[in-house]
Amino acid sequence: MAMRELVTGGATCAVPGSSSSSSNPLGALANALIGSSSKTQERLKEIPVATPTGPENQFFQDGVPLRTLPGSEQDGAFLPPNAQGSEFLRTFHSAYQNDLADAWDDVQHGPLPHVVSDMRAGTVLRPPPTLDGPPQRMLSGLLHSFVDSSRGGIPFRPAQLPLLGLSERDKQCIRDRSTIMGRHFFADKSEDFINSQVNALLHSLDIDSDVRAKGPLPGRYRELEEYWNESQGMMRPVPHVADGWANEFNQLGVNPGNPESWARSFEQQHGSNGWASEFEQSQLMAADRMRGANLPNMAAMEQSRMLAHTLAQNNDPKFQNSKFLQFVSKMSRGELIIDDNQVKPAPGDWASEFQQQYNSGPSWTDEYLRNRGPDQWADEFTAKREQVQSADDQWANEFSKLHMNDWADEFGQQVAEGVFGEGTANDWANAYDEFMNEQIAMKQQSDSSRGVYVFSDMNPYVGHPNPLKEGQELFRKGLLSEAILALEAEVMKNPNNSEGWRLLGITHAENDDDQQAIAAMMKAEEADPSNLEVLLALGVSHTNELEQAAALRYLYGWLHHHPKYKTLTTPEMPLSFYHADVAGLFNEAAQMSPEDADVHIVLGVLYNLSREYDRAIASFQTALNLKPNDYSLWNKLGATQANSVQSADAISAYQRALDLKPNYVRAWANMGIGYANQGMYEESIPYYVRALTMNPKADNAWQYLRISLRYETSTKGSEKHSFYSMTCTTTLITIPLANFVAPPPGMTCWKLAILGIWMLSKRSSLCNRQAPPVTRVPPPPHSLGQWWRFVVHR
Amino acid sequence: MPAFKIPFNGYSVKFSPFYENRLAVATAQNFGILGNGRVHVLSLPPSPGAPIVETAAYDTSDAVYDIAWSESHDSILVAAIADGSVKVYDTNLPPASNPLRSLQEHTREVHAVDYNPSRRDSFLTASWDDSIKLWTVDRPISVRTFKEHAYCVYAAAWNPRHADVFASASGDCTVRVWDVREPGSTMIIPAHDFEVLYTDWNKYDDCILATASVDKSIRVWDIRSFRVPITVLNGHNYAIRKVKFSPHRGSLMVSCSYDMTVCLWDYMVEDALVGRYDHHTEFTVGVDMSVLVEGLLASTGWDELVYVWQHGTDPRAP
Repeated sequence: MAMRELVTGGATCAVPGSSSSSSNPLGALANALIGSSSKTQERLKEIPVATPTGPENQFFQDGVPLRTLPGSEQDGAFLPPNAQGSEFLRTFHSAYQNDLADAWDDVQHGPLPHVVSDMRAGTVLRPPPTLDGPPQRMLSGLLHSFVDSSRGGIPFRPAQLPLLGLSERDKQCIRDRSTIMGRHFFADKSEDFINSQVNALLHSLDIDSDVRAKGPLPGRYRELEEYWNESQGMMRPVPHVADGWANEFNQLGVNPGNPESWARSFEQQHGSNGWASEFEQSQLMAADRMRGANLPNMAAMEQSRMLAHTLAQNNDPKFQNSKFLQFVSKMSRGELIIDDNQVKPAPGDWASEFQQQYNSGPSWTDEYLRNRGPDQWADEFTAKREQVQSADDQWANEFSKLHMNDWADEFGQQVAEGVFGEGTANDWANAYDEFMNEQIAMKQQSDSSRGVYVFSDMNPYVGHPNPLKEGQELFRKGLLSEAILALEAEVMKNPNNSEGWRLLGITHAENDDDQQAIAAMMKAEEADPSNLEVLLALGVSHTNELEQAAALRYLYGWLHHHPKYKTLTTPEMPLSFYHADVAGLFNEAAQMSPEDADVHIVLGVLYNLSREYDRAIASFQTALNLKPNDYSLWNKLGATQANSVQSADAISAYQRALDLKPNYVRAWANMGIGYANQGMYEESIPYYVRALTMNPKADNAWQYLRISLRYETSTKGSEKHSFYSMTCTTTLITIPLANFVAPPPGMTCWKLAILGIWMLSKRSSLCNRQAPPVTRVPPPPHSLGQWWRFVVHR
Repeated sequence: MPAFKIPFNGYSVKFSPFYENRLAVATAQNFGILGNGRVHVLSLPPSPGAPIVETAAYDTSDAVYDIAWSESHDSILVAAIADGSVKVYDTNLPPASNPLRSLQEHTREVHAVDYNPSRRDSFLTASWDDSIKLWTVDRPISVRTFKEHAYCVYAAAWNPRHADVFASASGDCTVRVWDVREPGSTMIIPAHDFEVLYTDWNKYDDCILATASVDKSIRVWDIRSFRVPITVLNGHNYAIRKVKFSPHRGSLMVSCSYDMTVCLWDYMVEDALVGRYDHHTEFTVGVDMSVLVEGLLASTGWDELVYVWQHGTDPRAP
C-alpha cells in the first residue's frame, strides 16, 4: 500500500459511510502537502480551458457549439465553473488583459522605437477560428441567399436554421454588417424593405434585431443624433447628473405634463443654484463675449438651440408635436427662463433684451469704452452688425458659426502670443472672424440672386450730361471704380444701351468682380443679343466662375453670331453643348482665318475650361503674337500659366499686363496669387493691398489677403512681431482715425483698418511697383490647406 | 490570362507600385459578414496564357476589407481588418513573422486604407467607427484621429500633389477635404443624397475629385466650386463601390458596382461611359488600374475570382 493510500484513507482504509477524504483530517493534510488526489485532479479538469475570449467560450471548443450536441445538457450541468475556476479565470483575465496591456501601453507611450523589427507586433497571432463545420456551411448558405435576394429585390424568406451557437460578438457582427451592407444593396428600396430583409436574416439566426445596431440610417436624423450625443456627452462628466436627467426624461415621457414640472423636479434634484444660474449666466454671455470671457457656459444653450433647429427642419409630426422638444426650443430662444425655481416666460425677446443691454445709456459698452479706450473698434463692430441684424435670434445663428470655426481659435492663439493680453486679442480675433463669416454668408445669399445687377448708392454721376463719354474717359485713364459709377449713371439713363452695359461689364471684370460683370454683361446681351464682345466676355466670366455649361453656351453664341464663322454652326442653337464639339468648331475657325486673334483667344478660354492648360497657353501666345498690346490677353496668359503651376512665368505675364495698364486691378490681384502660389506669402500681400486700395469691393482679393496674412504668420513661426499682433496694435490706432473719415462705399471699417496698417508699415514698398526678385528660392509651402481658394481670374 | 480562384469573397485588389507583375487581394469569408479573411499576394505570369500564381497568403481571424501597398518598401502591405485592427505584413518575411504589426485602435470595422504617395511613410485608415486615422510606419500608435463624420467612413484618399491633403467619403452623404496641419476638415461637400462609398482624386488635376455613391451615380467635383458637380455619370444599375482615376490619363476613371460590372469612364467626353465589363457573376467590389502598365486592370468580387486584363480585351479570355 502506498504511502498515499495510507494517509489519505484510500480504498482499503475507507471508513464505511464516509464518501469523502475530507472526513479524515490526515487526508486533508495530505491533500495540502502532496497536492493532488484523484478528486482534485478531477476538479482541475472542470476548469475550462483558459482562452481569453470571455465567458461564453465555456460552451465552445474550437468554435463548435457543444450545446447542440446530443447529451450536451449533461455537459452543461457540470460546465458552469465552480468558484475556484471562475476566480482563476478572472485573475487570469485581469492579469493578462489589464496589467499586460498597461505595461504594453507604457512601453508604447515611452520613447518610441524607430526600428520596424523592434516592434514586431509582439503578438502571437491567435489561430483564426475556423468556420468549416456543418453549421457554418448552413450559415454560409443563409448569407448567400440573403445576398442573392438583393438582386431580384424579392423578399428574403430564409429557412429556420437550427441553433448555430453564435457568440454575442458574432451576432453583433452579423447584425451590424448585414444592416450596413443591406443599405448598399437595397438602395432603391424603401427603408422598410431594407429593415424587413435584414430582420428576416437576423430572425432566422435568432439574433435580436434592435440591440445596438450601428446607428439609424444616416439620412434625416443624423444631425439630430449627433447633437443628441453631444448634449448627452456634455452631461457625462458628472455621471449622476446624467442619470437623473435621463430619469426625469423618462418620467416626462410617461406623463407628458407641463415643462414646469420637469424643471421643478430638476431643480429639486440639483439645487436651485445649478443649471438655472448657469442659464442666467449664459444670458449674460452676450456681454461677456465682448470682454473676451470664455465661452463654455454658452455651449449648453447653444446645444439646445442646435437641437431645436434640427427639429424644426424635421417634418415628422412626431417630432413637431413633442412637448419636450418644444420646451427645448423655447428654452433655446430664451422665451423661457428659469427664475426662482420656476420656469417663466422671459420678460421679452432675448435678442432684443441683449440689444437693450448695450443700447441703453450708461451700459457696459460705454463703461467698457471708457476703461479701455482703444477697444472702440469692438464697439464699432457691434454697431455695424446691429444694422445688419434684425431683432431676432439671428445673432445666435451667427454665434454658432463662430463656435465651429477653428480659424478663429487659431487666429486667437496667434494673437494671444503677441503683445496684448488675451482678452483684447481674442476680442479682435472673434470679431474679425465673425465679420468674415457674415460676409461669406452674405455672399452665399447673393449667389441665389446672381445675375441681378446691384447699383451703387449715392452716384455723383446721376444727372451728368454725358455719363457714357465720361465713363469711357475714366476707363481709359484706368480709374475703374469711378468709371463704374459713370457707366451706371449711363445705363440708368438708357437701360437699353448695350455699349454702356458692355463697358460696365468689362470694367467690373477688370476690377475683379465677376458677379457684377456677369450681371452687366447679361443686360448688354439682353439689349443686343449678337454683340460679339459681350458674348466673349460672358464666356470668360463664366469660365472664371467655373460654370462650364454657361460658358460654352456664350462661346458658341460668339461663333454663331460671327459674320465669318456663322457657317460653321447650325442655324438654331443646340440645347446642350459638349466641350469637345465647341472646341472642334473653333479649331476649324482658326484654320479658316489663322490671323484672327479673337478665335485664338476663345480657344484659349475653352482650353482653360477643360483644364488643358498647355493648349490654352499655346493659343494665348498665338493670339499675343497677333495682338501684343492687349493687356487683358497678357493677364489671361498669366492666369493660365498660374493655374497650370507655372507661377513664375505667370508673374512676368502679369507684369506685361501692368506695364500696359497700371490700374488693372485684376492683374494686381493675380500677381499676388502668383506669389502666394509659390509660397511667397509676404511678397503677395502688397499686391493684394494695392488691388484693394483701388477696388475695396474685390471680395476675392480680400479672401486671398486673409489667407496670405495667415500663412505669412505661420511661416514665421514664433516670431513675436507677427503680422497679426502688429495688425492688432495698429488697428487700435487706426480705427478712431477711420471714424473721422467717411469710408469709401463697400469699405467696411475692418478692411480699412488692415489697409491702414499696411500703408503705415510698408509705406515704401507700396509706392513703387517693383516686383520682388523672383530668383529667390521659394520656401516650401507651409500650408496650402486652402490652396483651391486661389482661383486665378482671366 | 485565366482568372485566379480565391477561397473567399474578394473585397479589394491593388497592383504593386514597384513590380508590374505583382498584386495583392483582400478577401473575406461569407461576404465579410462573419468569418475569416485572407490576404493574397499574387504574381502575374510572364506570358498571358499562363495562370496567375500565389506567392504568399496570410490568414486573419476576421474579414479583410481593404489592402494597400507601401509606397516606400516594395514588400510591405497594410491590411484593413473588420475586427478594427490594421495589420502590416512584410512579404519578405516568413509567414511565422507576419503580421509585422497589428495596430488596434479603431473600435469598429476598418473599411479602407490609403498609403500616402508623396509622403511615403504614412497612411490613412477609414473606419465604421466614423473616424479616419493617420499612421506612420515607425509609430505603434496613430498620429491623429479625424472624427467629424456622422456615420461610417468608407474611404479616404490622399491628394496626389499635396502631401497633407486628403478626402474622405462617408455614409453621412458627405465628402470632407482635410489638411492634416489643420485642426478640422477644411471643406465639407454634400456630395450625394445617399451614402458616399468612395472618393478619389484626379492624378493630373489636384482640384478634381470623383465620388461614388449608393445612388448609382459617380460625380466629378472641382473643389474650387463644389456647389455643383462638374459632371454626373450615370450607367451603373446598383450602388457603386469604388471609382478610381487613371494614373495615365487625366480624365479616365474605372468603377465597380453591386451591379456586377466594371465600367470605364472619360468624364470629359460626351458619351462618358467608354467601356463596360460584366465578367463577374457576383457583386464586384474591388478594382484597380496598374500604375506601371498602362491599361492593365484588375478586379475582384464576391464570385471568388480575381481577373487581370488589358483594357479592350476580354477579361475571361484564357
